[in-house]
Amino acid sequence: MVTNTSKGGVSTIGMGKPRRFDPNDKKYIPALLITPVQILLCVMLIFPFILEFVISLTEWQPIYGDFWTAFGSVFTQKINQGINYNYLVTEEPRYLQALGRTVIMSVISLCLEFLIGLGLASLFLKKFWGKRIWFTALLTPMMIMPVVVGYTWFMLFQYNGPINQIFGWIAFSPVNLQWLNDGTLAFIAVIVTEVWHWTPLFFLIMLSGLNAVPENPIRAATVLGASNFKIFWTIILPNMRAVIIIAFVIRGMEVVKLFDEIYLLTRGGPGTSTETISLYLYKLAFEDFRLAYAGSAAFIVLVITVVLINMMLKPIRYQLVEGR
Amino acid sequence: MAKIKLELVNLSKEFGKLTAVDDVNIAIEESETMALLGPSGCGKSTILNMIVGLEAPTSGDILIDGKSVLDVPPGERNIGLVFQDYAVFTHMTVRNNLAYGLKIRKLAQPEIEREIAKVAEFLSITHQLDRKPDELGASELQRVAIGRTLVTSPEILLLDEPLSNLEAAMRNQMRRELRRIQADTGQTIIYVTHDQIEALSLAHRIAVMDFGSLQQYDTAHNVYQYPKNRFVGSFLGNPPMNFLKGKLSESGGRRAVTSGDSTIPLPAGNLGSDVSAGSDVVVGVRPESLSLASADDPGSFSVPILAIEPQGPETVVTATFGDSSLKVIVPTGTEATEGDSIALVPKSDLVALFDAESGVRLLDSGDRR
Amino acid sequence: MPERKFTPFNFIALIAGLLFAVFPILWMVSTSFKLRSEWVTSPPTWVSSAPTVDNYLTILAPQVLLERRGGTKQVGDENFGGSKDDAAGGAIADLLNRSAWPGIKGSIIISLSATILSIVVGLMAAISISRYRFGGNFTPFFILAGRMFPPIAIAIPFVIMFGPKVFDITDTYFGLIVAYAAVTVPFSTWMLKSFVDDLPHEIEEAAMMDGYSRWRAHFTVTVPLIKGGIIATTLFIFILNWSEFLFALILTYTDVQTIPVTLSKYFSATEGTLYGVQAALAMVSIVPLVIVGFFIQKHLVRGLTLGAIKR
Repeated sequence: MVTNTSKGGVSTIGMGKPRRFDPNDKKYIPALLITPVQILLCVMLIFPFILEFVISLTEWQPIYGDFWTAFGSVFTQKINQGINYNYLVTEEPRYLQALGRTVIMSVISLCLEFLIGLGLASLFLKKFWGKRIWFTALLTPMMIMPVVVGYTWFMLFQYNGPINQIFGWIAFSPVNLQWLNDGTLAFIAVIVTEVWHWTPLFFLIMLSGLNAVPENPIRAATVLGASNFKIFWTIILPNMRAVIIIAFVIRGMEVVKLFDEIYLLTRGGPGTSTETISLYLYKLAFEDFRLAYAGSAAFIVLVITVVLINMMLKPIRYQLVEGR
Repeated sequence: MAKIKLELVNLSKEFGKLTAVDDVNIAIEESETMALLGPSGCGKSTILNMIVGLEAPTSGDILIDGKSVLDVPPGERNIGLVFQDYAVFTHMTVRNNLAYGLKIRKLAQPEIEREIAKVAEFLSITHQLDRKPDELGASELQRVAIGRTLVTSPEILLLDEPLSNLEAAMRNQMRRELRRIQADTGQTIIYVTHDQIEALSLAHRIAVMDFGSLQQYDTAHNVYQYPKNRFVGSFLGNPPMNFLKGKLSESGGRRAVTSGDSTIPLPAGNLGSDVSAGSDVVVGVRPESLSLASADDPGSFSVPILAIEPQGPETVVTATFGDSSLKVIVPTGTEATEGDSIALVPKSDLVALFDAESGVRLLDSGDRR
Repeated sequence: MPERKFTPFNFIALIAGLLFAVFPILWMVSTSFKLRSEWVTSPPTWVSSAPTVDNYLTILAPQVLLERRGGTKQVGDENFGGSKDDAAGGAIADLLNRSAWPGIKGSIIISLSATILSIVVGLMAAISISRYRFGGNFTPFFILAGRMFPPIAIAIPFVIMFGPKVFDITDTYFGLIVAYAAVTVPFSTWMLKSFVDDLPHEIEEAAMMDGYSRWRAHFTVTVPLIKGGIIATTLFIFILNWSEFLFALILTYTDVQTIPVTLSKYFSATEGTLYGVQAALAMVSIVPLVIVGFFIQKHLVRGLTLGAIKR
């Protein structure tokens, strides 16, 4: 077999000459191309996680010494064999609570974003003036940095802030809700902030899904006598199934990690009422400095999220790899 | 006198400056099968949408059983529509597709089952009731689409280009199926199509349309053999009608049309309007209406041969008539060579005379057998 | 047919949506021009009665303010409060420390570099995955795994890794750049992959038949043809990097700052949260985002859904 190399020479394989590493050879190119990414990820992902796992097996804390001590401590100190893990799951209620809170907050946010996004997208199917402008305006929340979002809503939710004022106008009597100082209200405030921030994404995705529903089945259903609602429920929504799953999975992946906004709004408080898993880990690692403990908590979270998300991605695996 | 089921009265539709449908009047009888035939853009799809109720006319009326249905929403007009692409609900099984209309009408479950079974049996899709549409082929999908409307017992059935999505072999089969459905259900059926073969093979009467207006509405036979204008003549028939341009001449009580060296004698008969000798006219005569003759036969004429194309059992001979060309179908084996002349005689009642400018038919004799 | 008519109810819904979407931003804009005394009032001040650019000056050009006050001895000012008990030096030092330029500088350097790194690495990976299906299904999803867990989980080992005695890259530009690149590479890879997917592979084959080597074909034919996609992805990743908060918070102390971190530090013991100044910095920092976002509107869905949905 004879192949041309980039230098114009001819490399002949199977003719006794030693095989040179030819970067042009089809076999090598993909591997070469993917190497930078692999290196980056190995150094910045795999290695840290191994490190985290190792540390989590110990009770190392930064005051004990440096990294090598930490590593070594697995062998020199008593190996806790997962005592951290044990403790976390069985005795530390805060950990499980944080997980639970994360799930509840995420589910509620996603559902709200879905409903509002879908509603807005349906509106956009109709004819009205200035669609482009409305469209851009409705997308703006998504563009704002999470930190800024957090600050803005922090201001708005103040005891003497505009939200209370507006509610006061609607209720015809002064409203003085302590949004950020009351457990339940703070939880709601966080959800409102997240929903405000990311509904535009659902709006965009739903709009694209709605536009992709073929027109003729809708007309066929109309001729068969279906009402608008029935058409929506039996024809349009089922056709959007894939798109809806994508939206939920992709945004779901991000919403469980929510940190910036919550940190700025409430720091996880009052008490622990808005302490999601991200905030709990932050507290453990950077306020209590219990790195090993935090490491084990983080590792469990890692395993859970990777497994769960892979499961969630399964239905849309094909779409993701091939493109819709 | 048959009862009129559906009537379009002065129906018009405008989209801004564009007139899609222009003052169309059609009266369709009960249990009749008719076709709305015309090229793309002629307005037939717009009329379809208006009959069904998906679009509202700009002016005019649509009457079903004598009553206007303009205020009646699409689902309540008792009309069934089968789309060109079938528009089967892909996320439902065949059974649920068929059941769709019935569930809307709030029928009881056992009754729904019965109706579905009946229609499935009628269309031979019983064994596929629990399959999903992506497992079915084109003609099966079409039957599901037809079944979906039949199950609601509509009084009028509309089919949009029913045969166009099928392969040739399937078409014959579906043609037979459609004729069977026509015969068995006795419904009023309207086909909308651009394919004249489809129209001729399926419909009793054909409404030919062009640029939004109705050109001719008559039985298939009449529309084919006695076209009212040049457009209708040209649209139906394959190979298409010959159009011979020339000047009208009169000598000795006999009229003829001459162009260059060629003359074709016209059969005796009245002219529908004032046409004087010397005016420009167009003779329309179908290739199959011309037969071989010898030069001295009465009513015959000779034309020089331009080309000879054998096509199996028949041969198509192209000849020239002045500036126009003329095609004739002769049995293969006929003695003829290019450059020769060939003598032809037309079937006297199948010759049409059209005004050169408007295309309207002039010769009135012999129409409507 | 779903109603095409636009009812008054629809109009109300649309207005409500619009107001909800835009109100917080407008509030922020307004706050950035408020006087110190108007930051926290009861009832809240919606629009300043005497709009001022002092907040902006604080973050961008504090010297101007100092000069305006005529020197460094004065304490107490409607915008820069501090009680009279505050040491004069304290208030001034505070003032100068609030300049946002270190943060702005840091954000620009880090965002740009990290974006470039992410795009270059991601582009190569995208070609590898799209054209050669390298690693089948595993590799692409492995790359995606980087997005699956909370950043805080990886921040913990980062702190150790970045710390002294290991790589010692805390509080350096390099450290953050690499960290950002690692976290955004899943997005850049997948988004670019979807653009490469859109390009028919016959194009490269044609180039190769004309004598180009594979490398050359990829980089002189493929890459220019997806220029638009690369630009969109670059802008998208830039937005992500510009907005990043957690890593910046944890991995920097004094030498390096980014805008989000600077924002979070506008809090002083004596004066509480400096809303006006924060608002001003927020406005400054979101301007590039909104502009960029406007330009890549079309591609936002593609990026945010990892290429699954193309508008």
